[in-house]
Amino acid sequence: MLLFRSEDTVIQWCKANSTPVRPLISMDQLWYLAVKWYENRITVDSRRPAPDEMVEIFSKIGLDGPFWDPKADKWISAT
Amino acid sequence: MEFDAEVKLKIYEMTARNASIPNAAEVATELGVPHKLILDSIERLSAKRLLVPEPGDSSRIRMAPPFSGIKTAFQVEVGDRSYYANCVWDAFGIPAALQMDGIIYAVDGFTEEPLQLEISGGRPRTLEYVAHFAVPAALWWDDIVYT
Repeated sequence: MLLFRSEDTVIQWCKANSTPVRPLISMDQLWYLAVKWYENRITVDSRRPAPDEMVEIFSKIGLDGPFWDPKADKWISAT
Repeated sequence: MEFDAEVKLKIYEMTARNASIPNAAEVATELGVPHKLILDSIERLSAKRLLVPEPGDSSRIRMAPPFSGIKTAFQVEVGDRSYYANCVWDAFGIPAALQMDGIIYAVDGFTEEPLQLEISGGRPRTLEYVAHFAVPAALWWDDIVYT
């Protein structure tokens, strides 16, 4: 997961790496994900979000569809 | 407290305190338990995707997300300490985990131009940049170092 100055450099990176351009994530969206994943990491009860929780977290900031679903068959069957 | 939870918490506490992920021997010394118990615990925690050991040497930890055990392109300064993150998400994850403000020194993924981010007052202050996730969520752990 990389940082870019702009969409232009994302497109150039994707072209150089033969990778499709995915939806861009804003810094506000990224901070939301960081807090959801890590705010309790240095506690006894810390854990990663379960797959269904991940889908819910992504959906809250508009990241929907199989790309953001850790159980998506489309991607699993592609391996 | 369950032993693996105790080991995990100790690893994170030591990482936060020392700005460096401890190895198995250092955790064993800190907890006063045999080295082998810590190695076994790290293996179980890795199976649960909570830690990533160094390839070929399970006594060292490459990732205790969001912290990185090696230098990366994502350096995070929080208070008087400097950490490394595994990716841009984890770079934000370090101030989130420590619940403190921070400055992130990163680079553009294509041009390698230095880019700086700031977390202040519990939110990002530098908003003009973007992040890109190249790998779908279902495949993140196929190669978590690349992801």
